[in-house]
Amino acid sequence: MKTAWAAVLLVPPLAMTLLFFVGPVLYLFWVSLHEPSQSELYGAALTPQNYTAVLGDSFYLGIIRRTLGVAAAILALSLVIGYPVAYFVALLPPRRRMLVLLMLIFPLMVSNVVRAYGWVAILGRRGVVNTGLLGVGMIDAPLDLLYSTPAVVTGLMTILLPYMVISIANALTALDRRYEEAAQALGAGPVRTFLHVTLPLSTPGVASGTLLVLLLTLSAYVTITLLGGPRSKLLVSMVYDGVTAFQWPHAAALAFILLALALVLTALILALLRPGRVQGTGR
Amino acid sequence: MNDARADVRLAAVRKTFGSVVAVDDIDLEIPRGTIFSLLGPSGCGKTTTLRLIAGFERPDAGEVYIRGQCVTPIPPYRRNFSMVFQSYALFPHLSVAENVAFGLRMRGMAREERARAVSEALELVKLGALADRYPRQLSGGQQQRVALARAIVIKPAVLLLDEPLGALDKMLREEMQIELRNLQQRLGITAVFVTHDQEEALTLSDCVAVMRNGVIEQTGAPREIYDRPHNEFVAGFLGASNFIDGTIVARDGATAIVETPAGRMSLLADSGIGKRVRIAIRPERLRIEPVAAAGLPARVRDIVYRGPVTHFYLDSAAGPLLSYQQNAGASWSIGDEVACAWDAQSAVVLDRERT
Repeated sequence: MKTAWAAVLLVPPLAMTLLFFVGPVLYLFWVSLHEPSQSELYGAALTPQNYTAVLGDSFYLGIIRRTLGVAAAILALSLVIGYPVAYFVALLPPRRRMLVLLMLIFPLMVSNVVRAYGWVAILGRRGVVNTGLLGVGMIDAPLDLLYSTPAVVTGLMTILLPYMVISIANALTALDRRYEEAAQALGAGPVRTFLHVTLPLSTPGVASGTLLVLLLTLSAYVTITLLGGPRSKLLVSMVYDGVTAFQWPHAAALAFILLALALVLTALILALLRPGRVQGTGR
Repeated sequence: MNDARADVRLAAVRKTFGSVVAVDDIDLEIPRGTIFSLLGPSGCGKTTTLRLIAGFERPDAGEVYIRGQCVTPIPPYRRNFSMVFQSYALFPHLSVAENVAFGLRMRGMAREERARAVSEALELVKLGALADRYPRQLSGGQQQRVALARAIVIKPAVLLLDEPLGALDKMLREEMQIELRNLQQRLGITAVFVTHDQEEALTLSDCVAVMRNGVIEQTGAPREIYDRPHNEFVAGFLGASNFIDGTIVARDGATAIVETPAGRMSLLADSGIGKRVRIAIRPERLRIEPVAAAGLPARVRDIVYRGPVTHFYLDSAAGPLLSYQQNAGASWSIGDEVACAWDAQSAVVLDRERT
């Protein structure tokens, strides 16, 4: 009786997911396997060509490589910058910690578009940096800071950093300080306590932060378009371009290549960090 | 006692948290190879005292010595001790063997020597077969043994135990008490054991310090603490006690003749003639006799059968009394008029000057 009711409760969300997510994704995959058509969404004949064309084209391979490079750079930077901040936040007394976390969340309340334009105002040819450097005479002509891969990395990283900090800070806050005391009692100084105990025990937070930042990087559009311009396009930009050119099967194939990339990277990160080994119930 | 025989010494150690005095000028000496228990209710400062020895807390005043060396300014990881936590604090990402090896690795012991020491330690706690398991795959009792193995494998000058058996159920706890005691004696370890369980302290310890409000009320061997408590708190904390008031009517050297509702008896007491004193008698030392006998007249109010013993609750002119009777002898019923008696050597005059 109880399980029957539970099954009934499951029906609406299940139906929603099937109807609006699983169905469309499968349909999109179906589209990606057809030849393009001038008049229809997709042509009649089945073909793997949409995939082989992308994966055999050095232009697209270059885009994929750049996408991976941007993701790697953003992950590395947000980890290196985010972890120490998270460590500091976790040491704060509860009230102060809440305050700092609120401050970290605050930028997320401002639209991505606004923040991307903020970077445009800083990095543009007549932006803050160039005018400043010109003013003190360090450069003679404005630098091309905007519309470059570093601009994309900087802009996106600053937007995504809070996700990393909050994830790791939560893991460190929940960490029982007795583990660190146990390590010290066994002769481990501060550095080795951190490396052998604190860091491995914070991997669930590192993993969730890394995955959030990675997936948001791979799916970011507004920021990379505004800061990367036509010269620093990523895989998402190509999907969008395909759609606007009405090359539906081509765009669908690109979307699935992006999805595959995301899945492989997720598996890789989980295999590397193995957050599961510290998440079992310790009793 | 000199430092050569004391593995741990606290000299006038004081620790406050804000306005709360957690440890109030404590002096302590723990001889080599003994188990020393810090016993008291929660908030009495026993855990803080342990953490002061470990160095997790710094004293506001006073010095801490381990094996004669003043360690007050030295951080925990350079002190010669190890610790078993109430929550065990086993590293969840390391296997049983890696947990036990941790301290040896930090000391830079070579791999082969380390492996040998680890398997020896695991054999000692009878966990050799579980070396490759992870903590989450073990029962509470097994985790407790791993924590113990991890602590003794580094051969510390002193082993600190913070209510290590508190999370185990009663049966397992009593088994582990005996095992811990045997292990400690076999290895000759000096141990400081924090507990709020008086039975545990009596079972395990060579010496017990009873603490209250950051002060040690009495230190002594378990039998001494139990049989000759200095004050009402110690008497009451180590199991039930009957308290009876009396007056000193005569003195003869160290002994005094005390007039009590049950008659005159000669007891060890410091106070002078005419002083009121309070006497403690353990329930198992309080005899119940027929009403005709000499003694304190009383009436049986309540009887609780406890298996090996029966608890008799009595009312008398000197107040309520409690007596434990072995279930072999005479039996009484509720409402019976009886006489309560005790031997002079079973009675203790409280609040004597501390010796």
